[in-house]
Amino acid sequence: MPKNKVVPIEEAMSHIKSGMSIAIGGFIGQGDPLTLIDHLKTMDVGDLTIYENDAGYRDRGQVELVNQGKVKKIVASHVGTTPDIAKAMNEGRLEVEATPQGTLAEMLRSGGAGLGGFLTPTGIGTVAEEGKQIIEVDGKPYILVPAVRCDIALVRAHRGDTWGNLIFRGTSRNFNVPAAMCADYVIAEVENLYTMGELDPEAIHTSGIFVDAVVRANVSYCTVREDPLETAVRSK
Amino acid sequence: MGNAKQTIARRAGGELKDGQIINLGIGLPTLIADYVPEGVDVVIQTENGGIGVGPAPAPGCEDRDRANAGNQPITLVPGGSYFDSVMSFAMIRGGHVDSTFLGTLQVDEEGNIANWVVPGGLLAGMGGAMDLVTGAKIVHIVTEHCGRDGSSKLMKKCTFPLTGAKEADVIITERALFRRFPETGWILDEVAVGYSLDDIADCTEMAYTVADGVRLDAYGGE
Repeated sequence: MPKNKVVPIEEAMSHIKSGMSIAIGGFIGQGDPLTLIDHLKTMDVGDLTIYENDAGYRDRGQVELVNQGKVKKIVASHVGTTPDIAKAMNEGRLEVEATPQGTLAEMLRSGGAGLGGFLTPTGIGTVAEEGKQIIEVDGKPYILVPAVRCDIALVRAHRGDTWGNLIFRGTSRNFNVPAAMCADYVIAEVENLYTMGELDPEAIHTSGIFVDAVVRANVSYCTVREDPLETAVRSK
Repeated sequence: MGNAKQTIARRAGGELKDGQIINLGIGLPTLIADYVPEGVDVVIQTENGGIGVGPAPAPGCEDRDRANAGNQPITLVPGGSYFDSVMSFAMIRGGHVDSTFLGTLQVDEEGNIANWVVPGGLLAGMGGAMDLVTGAKIVHIVTEHCGRDGSSKLMKKCTFPLTGAKEADVIITERALFRRFPETGWILDEVAVGYSLDDIADCTEMAYTVADGVRLDAYGGE
């Protein structure tokens, strides 16, 4: 039987130390792991480097960690939905590395897939190629982008089982999938927790092989709360 | 010219071909969905992870897990589906999206596009724009012809950091429509109601050739 990875949130999050790199799933609020971010806000850690598509939406999400001074650097494709990020940059409190969205997704995926990097045509002739090696294949130039491995990943799923098999909902899948692949210790908050065998094996988006800890999402952040009674019936 | 954006969106809608897969940028390009011509069926991809984007949901039916890349609530048409960001950009970079429509700060003679950052201004980031202009088969730039200061956005050479080099194929403004071909450069194909060829020459900094069959009063004037 695969191992039960459900742990108290304090235990899972205690793996996060100052100076670590963290990949965070979500897309301007869609599928952002807010339960885990809320907990991180209470912790005494700093100097973090965060890989995320964005910094959240308005005043919610990763931007809250920036406002607390916990974050040294963000690697993101777009930080325009969180005005406080521009403020932090202008005041010299934060470094932001703008990365094309598809490149960022592939950096995390290839890090998780054991690759050293990948070749992309995106950004040829732009600042995205600065400092990068250009490699020609069949006469066409590509940027060599190194893969990224993170210490920690924080993701959020609609459904999860106790081994960490995950199913996302709608457009909340986004960066949660590559983030869950790229880190040494992956924490998933799940809106609806199931026992092993309850989730359809054909429908799993992220295999539990990538996940190290499963915690329950804060009920008030759940988009669709499933009826435990229905679960009991289905498990028969 | 209060309805310049609607004029641009309506003309851009006329570019759509039945069966195309398209991606619409945030802002003005999103309006194009309202101007899909009768009898034309297109499939809209949204880079945050959906294809088959349909009309906005009825008030009260919004769902936080169903939104576009601008965070506006969406529905999916039958046959639509969701996916993660890796898959989404495999579609985009891999050339599976027929056409993208994007706004811009600057576009130039060589087809260079600069739409993600103003030097010294606030950094927002390029989002998916660099991947879209690289991967989409046809890149439509939909923009007002001139900036707020009256200067031409259709420039000799972009001065802002580029989003894509030599990627623009079509420019649609409230005044004119240009198409770019490798052998000819930009061709002025259509002029909108209320403008003459001289007017377009006066407000366009980049070099272009007037098409033999250029159409005057081709659109706009609603």
